[in-house]
Amino acid sequence: MTVSEAREAKDRELRALQAALAAEHAAVYGYGVVGGRIGKDRRPEARTAYDAHRARRDALVRAVKDVGGEPVAAAAGYALPFQVPDAAAAVRLAAELEDRVAGVYGDLVRAGTGERRREAADAMREAAVRSVRWSSRSVAFPGLAERGGPASGSPAPTT
Amino acid sequence: MSFPPSPRARSGPRRRSLLAAAPAALLVAGCSAGPGDSGAGGGSRPSAADRARARAARDSGELAARYDAVVAAHPKLAERLRPLRAEVVRHAEAFGGTADSSPSPSASASASGTPGSGKAGPSASPAAVPAKPKDALAELAAAEREIADRRVKALLDAPGELARLLASVAAAGAAHVYLLTEA
Repeated sequence: MTVSEAREAKDRELRALQAALAAEHAAVYGYGVVGGRIGKDRRPEARTAYDAHRARRDALVRAVKDVGGEPVAAAAGYALPFQVPDAAAAVRLAAELEDRVAGVYGDLVRAGTGERRREAADAMREAAVRSVRWSSRSVAFPGLAERGGPASGSPAPTT
Repeated sequence: MSFPPSPRARSGPRRRSLLAAAPAALLVAGCSAGPGDSGAGGGSRPSAADRARARAARDSGELAARYDAVVAAHPKLAERLRPLRAEVVRHAEAFGGTADSSPSPSASASASGTPGSGKAGPSASPAAVPAKPKDALAELAAAEREIADRRVKALLDAPGELARLLASVAAAGAAHVYLLTEA
């Protein structure tokens, strides 16, 4: 690998890390909404997912710094993909958040190497399992939009 | 059904094997034409990526055969297992294999040097299915988990796009484990 190719690979990895971090910021925000609307029976599950995304977010902040980047900040607010007036919509939102996160981790698997790639694969797996817990529906290719696996429908930053 | 040990499993502690994987991954990345390059290895010898893809296709094909065996033994599970099996077949096809009689893209199966790899024929000869449906589901889940773990190991050394596909399919496998055991 030439020096410029190595730099390109590093840039790709940093971009993928930042995209994953941005998605985790959105997921943390989104789970705040989920927690406010979700039924009592599933509140502990939402709380666990919220904590998991916060932990991933913090790990990504460190990873971005490790490769010399400035971690992207959370937006002040996010436009939700749809109205979340009740518990059923909250469950749908939670599944959407996980699908979106799976997508960015798939990109990080592609861009990363070694331990970082493995962690991204783990995060992708966790997101896919949480998604199916919420939706009770399996998809063939989690995180791969080009193969019909949901990877979009996230809260978009409003700022 | 038995799974041969992964070639990576022989290396000592997990930590060291992970460290050892990094230079290999760099090497693979350096040799390939680009991040999107995961197929079309020109030479006559199958590349490491081709072998990984063929192995992944074979795993999915054998898994589909497992599903078939469970459904044959427990027809009442057919409804529940059908969508999962369909996804397993799509996985096999995505890796260039076939797990069904339906036509599939013959993308890289020929490059692997083992025509028909990934095909789930009678040769797969799955072991006997447990008599209790619950046990049969648990065994399917164990097979899904084992294969998903193997895919995660394999993706460490794979070119980027193949690694991403392996990660997605491993994630789908983990979701299947949940649906088979807890849902």
